[in-house]
Amino acid sequence: MMQWVQGMRDSFFTSLFSIAKDDKRVILITSDTGAICHDRFRDELKDQYINVGIAEQNMIGVAAGLAMAGKIVYVYAIIPFATMRCYEQIRVDLCCMNLPVTVVGVGVGFDYSTLGPTHHGIEDISLMRSLPEMKIYSPADSFMAEELAKLSYEEKGPKYIRLDRVGSPLVYKNKKEIDFSKGFNVVREGKDLYIIATGRMVFNALNVAELLADLSIDTGVIDLFKIKPFNKNMLWDVIKDVGHVVTLEEHFIIGGIGELVGGLLLNRRKPVEFRAIGIPHAFCRSYGTRDYLYRINGIDKHSMVETINKWIKTEKKFL
Amino acid sequence: MDRGKIRKLECKARWVRKKVLEMAVKAGAGHVAPAFSCTEIITALHYDNIMNFDPKNPEWPDRDRFILSKGQAAIALYAVLADLGFFPVDELMTFTCDGSRLGGHTEDTIPGVEAFTGSLGHGLSIGAGLALAAKMDDKKYISFVLMGDGECHEGSVWEAAMFSAQHKLNNLIVIIDHNGLSATDCLENYLEVEPLNKKWEAFGWETVIVDGHSFNDLCSVLSKDSCSRFSKPLVIIALTTKGKGVSFMENSPIWHYRIPVGEELVIAQKELSCEK
Repeated sequence: MMQWVQGMRDSFFTSLFSIAKDDKRVILITSDTGAICHDRFRDELKDQYINVGIAEQNMIGVAAGLAMAGKIVYVYAIIPFATMRCYEQIRVDLCCMNLPVTVVGVGVGFDYSTLGPTHHGIEDISLMRSLPEMKIYSPADSFMAEELAKLSYEEKGPKYIRLDRVGSPLVYKNKKEIDFSKGFNVVREGKDLYIIATGRMVFNALNVAELLADLSIDTGVIDLFKIKPFNKNMLWDVIKDVGHVVTLEEHFIIGGIGELVGGLLLNRRKPVEFRAIGIPHAFCRSYGTRDYLYRINGIDKHSMVETINKWIKTEKKFL
Repeated sequence: MDRGKIRKLECKARWVRKKVLEMAVKAGAGHVAPAFSCTEIITALHYDNIMNFDPKNPEWPDRDRFILSKGQAAIALYAVLADLGFFPVDELMTFTCDGSRLGGHTEDTIPGVEAFTGSLGHGLSIGAGLALAAKMDDKKYISFVLMGDGECHEGSVWEAAMFSAQHKLNNLIVIIDHNGLSATDCLENYLEVEPLNKKWEAFGWETVIVDGHSFNDLCSVLSKDSCSRFSKPLVIIALTTKGKGVSFMENSPIWHYRIPVGEELVIAQKELSCEK
């Protein structure tokens, strides 16, 4: 039975609020992007909360200045605005100076499914992967988002965390199930195939694995939550014996985890059949629910089962 | 202002220009004319007890902060920082050479340099963040930001200008090196920035216009008292001449990134030595 709790965003900022209450160095900056969970910051920690207005470039520069003076800064906006509008500020002000600023982007993939391509978060991994010093976290559920608030507070240097806006299904039963040491978690073991997924797609991958099991394809699922730096050696140890690997992301494959894992496989001598599944490389000008956009873009569970099953069955020699 | 003090500053500015030319010629690189445009501004800030800093302790938490937002003038700032003892003067002659840490734009890893600059339109936001942090922590340091006038084309400058006024950052002083030229042309020919003072006033700033090559003007307006006089952030529009000090470079866009050679160099050296 699917268990739902508060969204990643609420979990993250509730956790961050607890940290900020005890450490005045923690500053939250938003570019006029609201969230109910920010209200406590604004009301109870008003000296640690800044709304810079609709001005993301300045948001990053101010964050850099604050961090240079010893603050631990979080900046927050919808993904395209948090990453693209101020990309060069992130590159120069945060990454070149290796400052402790966490960029928190909300609205992974088609989270803002009714607002169109301007609000879709479908290139952010690609952009952030290009930047030296930048770490990238992509939590699979609220438990992980909550823990990432603590982790980002303790880690040095710039970070990027991509969050879902609203309630998400849980992947983990509790926080103790999450092992942050490797950068990924094997959330389901498999013998024939591993699906490496990130963000909300981890939950989709678990559903797909269930359906593939009915088709006699023993499928494991890996939650790749730390995209950069990428723990390629330990991940290779997990996937090297299954024969088939699929990546699944609510993001373009270009620059996403598909290319990341594909690059890993290219550099190994042992052949592993590989397929990257993500959002087709086009702006999605359709509107509706997030699940509807999944369906028309082929990343819903039934499309994925069909795609994977067809692919696997044509490669029987590996099974 | 004391005439002897002014003469000393003028002498220092002459040394900076000559050193900049020497470094650029040796390297075959560097923005000479942009550096000459703001030589008096950088000199005044660093040699007239305007800024508090300690070359032996560059990370001193209470130091005043200087952000060279027009990072292409790094060559002049490096000359000044070396002369003050932040790093050896001999190192200046490695400028942009193989393996040198001194590049064409300012890097925060160089002792005495606060911020990584070179991309225009970044420094003011960083300076505003530093000034805001000072307010939060009840610190007395001042953030000084030196910008170019062409840099005011960047939209991010105006985002930061609004922000600074909103937060009443009267511990933030911006100096605009207003020489009227950018890399390729006179600003008025393709994107005019005037009336610059009225624009900043409209954005909620206190504005002062000075002669950017007059130590008398610069030192009187750059004193710490300037900050305490106002409740708003202060912008000093310094009227300058790009390439100041070398006749054929002055007000000539082609010298933005050119290094004098042959007879040009002889003339430039002669004029800088004779500078009054």
